Amino acid sequence: MSNGDNAGKGGGNFDKARRNFLRGLGIGVAATVAQPAWGGQTFQDAFADFFQKDYRRMSAEEVEAALERIESKALQRYGVEIDCQNTPPQPGVVYGYAINISRCKGYRDCVHACVKENNLGRDSQVQYIRVLQLNQGDFNLEHSDHYYDPEMVPVEGKHYLPVQCMQCDDPPCVKACPVEATWMEPDGIVVVDYDWCIGCRYCMAACPYWARHFNWTDPEIPAEEMNTNTHYLGNRPRPRGVVEKCHFCIHRTRKGQQPACMEACPTGSRIFGNLLDPDSEIRYVLANKQVFRLKEELGTEPKFWYFSD
Amino acid sequence: MPRKDDLFFYPCTQCHAAMEPNAEIRSLNTMHDSELEHGRGRIWCLSCHDFRNRDYLRTLLDELVDFDEAHLVCGGCHANRHKDWHFGVHGKRVGNLQGDRTQYNCTHCHNPHNPAIQPRAPKAAPPVRAGLKLERGIEPEKSSIWDSQEEREEQ
Repeated sequence: MSNGDNAGKGGGNFDKARRNFLRGLGIGVAATVAQPAWGGQTFQDAFADFFQKDYRRMSAEEVEAALERIESKALQRYGVEIDCQNTPPQPGVVYGYAINISRCKGYRDCVHACVKENNLGRDSQVQYIRVLQLNQGDFNLEHSDHYYDPEMVPVEGKHYLPVQCMQCDDPPCVKACPVEATWMEPDGIVVVDYDWCIGCRYCMAACPYWARHFNWTDPEIPAEEMNTNTHYLGNRPRPRGVVEKCHFCIHRTRKGQQPACMEACPTGSRIFGNLLDPDSEIRYVLANKQVFRLKEELGTEPKFWYFSD
Repeated sequence: MPRKDDLFFYPCTQCHAAMEPNAEIRSLNTMHDSELEHGRGRIWCLSCHDFRNRDYLRTLLDELVDFDEAHLVCGGCHANRHKDWHFGVHGKRVGNLQGDRTQYNCTHCHNPHNPAIQPRAPKAAPPVRAGLKLERGIEPEKSSIWDSQEEREEQ
């Protein structure tokens, strides 16, 4: 009997504990519903975000749904209705860039245009373009200074070398990525799937050009300065803790426009074009000017040339 | 890209129609800025401006050139630059990657009377990452790291 009594007593205790646990769970769920615990999203969106695949493995409908989620997230975070697109690469186009370093004066207009165009966090210290200041005749990048801030540029005895992502044809960053969150598109642009990136920063270590940047903070962008023309692989608002980089303004160039840095440059030293089009300006540069690439000996085959005339 | 809208005095014949043309080489100091850095004294006004019709420029072959087509005048001397400009390597172009583009004329960027580009203030420098301090005035070649590097290379 005593055994039975004990059993009965024990059962009662267990029931009570179970009831308390379930009550607590219920309160927890209620609290979850009441507060924006999914980052301000609906449960379905957070669920879908969690199970979102790599960009290259998504079906057309899944990409469409992901784009809608990006737009609604931007509306919640920044209060801006953005238009996130998924423009495919144009056939027969491989983009290339050339910079005339005898013309670059170090104005840094390109840097600021890039920050605006690509919705870079204003306080995040991420800038895709760095304009290096070097002593005349010196090409050791370790001697360069991109924090220069004189009254007037160009400074006597200095020259300027803008660097950004070189869009290598054999990109070491792509080889380094353990989750294949970065790859080269058919039009030669090395892109990042920000939702697939795990933020391990191996690619940053692999890049010889210091072209990849890590988002340490949530990007702070004033609502009125937000660029609403965005692309999934390009300048859409990025989450914190992922690696990002220059993407040749994929949202513009895939529609046939020029990148923002090139439009901003007042000196005309930036030349952008289709490497497969024999009549393009970039092909004229490659055929008629003495061009060089940075760190060519590494064999990364950058699609980014420098020349002087 | 049209240029005439930006010209302050254009059309020039507003005044010059009533004036007797004077072909004597001299420096102007009444209405126009008399500074002519371009050519350092080897050229003067009527080398590029037409003598008979002040609304036009002239080439070295004495052809009339509209102010919107000033590059034809510049190209008379600066042929290599003109060729580069024609193929889109010199000067600024905006617009589409393929197809229609807007090309800036020589005189949009260069003041034809003083063509050297003047220095300008740069835009703000990038911020230094939080926790780091920007040290100024260090000559990288003279800092200790580079000394030891060079010494190692010598050995």
